[in-house]
Amino acid sequence: MSLLELRGVSKSHARRSRRIRVLQDVSLEVEAGELVAVWGLRRSGRSTLLAVAAGIDPPDTGGVFFEGRDLAARGASVLGDGVGYCHQGVGVAGGRRVIDSVRAGLLARGVAVAVADSRAHEALGRVGVERSDELLLGDLDAGEAVRVAIACALVLGPRVLVIDEPTKGVDLLERDEIVLLLRSLADEGIAILLSDGDGSGLSDADRALTLAGGELRGRTSPEIGEVLPLQRRAGKSTAA
Amino acid sequence: MRSSVNWTVLGLVIERASYGWELWTRFERLYGDVLPIGSESNVYGALDALRDRGFIEGVREPRRDGSGANRQPKPHYRATAEGVDAYAAWVIAQAREHNRRSLLFARQLGALAQQPQTALGILERYELACLDDKGAKTPTVSEFPARVVPGLADRLASAYGRSVMAATFGWIDYARREFAALAGRRPRSL
Repeated sequence: MSLLELRGVSKSHARRSRRIRVLQDVSLEVEAGELVAVWGLRRSGRSTLLAVAAGIDPPDTGGVFFEGRDLAARGASVLGDGVGYCHQGVGVAGGRRVIDSVRAGLLARGVAVAVADSRAHEALGRVGVERSDELLLGDLDAGEAVRVAIACALVLGPRVLVIDEPTKGVDLLERDEIVLLLRSLADEGIAILLSDGDGSGLSDADRALTLAGGELRGRTSPEIGEVLPLQRRAGKSTAA
Repeated sequence: MRSSVNWTVLGLVIERASYGWELWTRFERLYGDVLPIGSESNVYGALDALRDRGFIEGVREPRRDGSGANRQPKPHYRATAEGVDAYAAWVIAQAREHNRRSLLFARQLGALAQQPQTALGILERYELACLDDKGAKTPTVSEFPARVVPGLADRLASAYGRSVMAATFGWIDYARREFAALAGRRPRSL
């Protein structure tokens, strides 16, 4: 059983008078500690794929499973309940302070203000923007906004982080830093699924896939070595 | 001089005057994954070839205070002006050759217009191979403690790799639509 699994997912959107099939029989498995990157051109369906994977957008057919449970059956509570999601364009709604934004998820879950503050600051420190806590979201540059978005998800302790184009609009020199941050989160055991349009997220991924024409190409499941059962060595006693 | 190893060693000597063993360790750190040479002796062979062509010249080993004052001095080399000029011409020629080969690949695929399914099969395999390669990993500063500018070469490789990967996958998508149309399968509009 994979941590996150898309099984035979198809999805179409209405575009003017036409119905466009965006995902076609897409299957994908992501395990804990993996960084999986999906590259696609604009309008390839990469954002749709991620929204479906995070349980935000239900598939037309097929299923999405987190820890073996069908996300469609879990209702709206999936976000923040093991699955974190960062969409594009974080920071556009600019009137809110960073710290308020990061602790909001905790406060909504009934966590005490002091505890929420402490955990929010910890999350901001983890993503490298601890000094931006009093800034307004609208004052952040693209790189800071992505880090804050990651902090918003991290503070809820996700096992899977789904992040849509984390390097989009980020200064060229800072893209590597964002990717390394995500790599380090994966190394800590969080499964990361990201979309990518400029190639930035590919090189440090455990697996890279492409999405074109609704089809996902590449290794859709992790390579896991064969587990061999331990065998007693012939002619040796194991008695202590 | 056709050996990539010889030219690459020349680049290292241009970066800073040095000696065999140090050049070997720098070579391994910078190029070990893309240009494996296996043995330190290849670096000494390269130094001989470069010196014979006048691209490098021997210099007195820089004096250091302290220990080792009585040991045999190691032969050090620095690049000549001719060596720097030849190196620049070589790396540019390499990059142009890379571009020419890419164009050749595109044309060779285009020559399969009568066999679109074959071309689609090649594209599929090529894409999967690229996905496995993925380009150069993003370097971390701690991996390059000894360098003047830590990780610069790998940052450049990383930035180059991601640009090439994105362009390659975009091109594969485009080529696939062309051949799908030729094969009579209407390419799906997106």
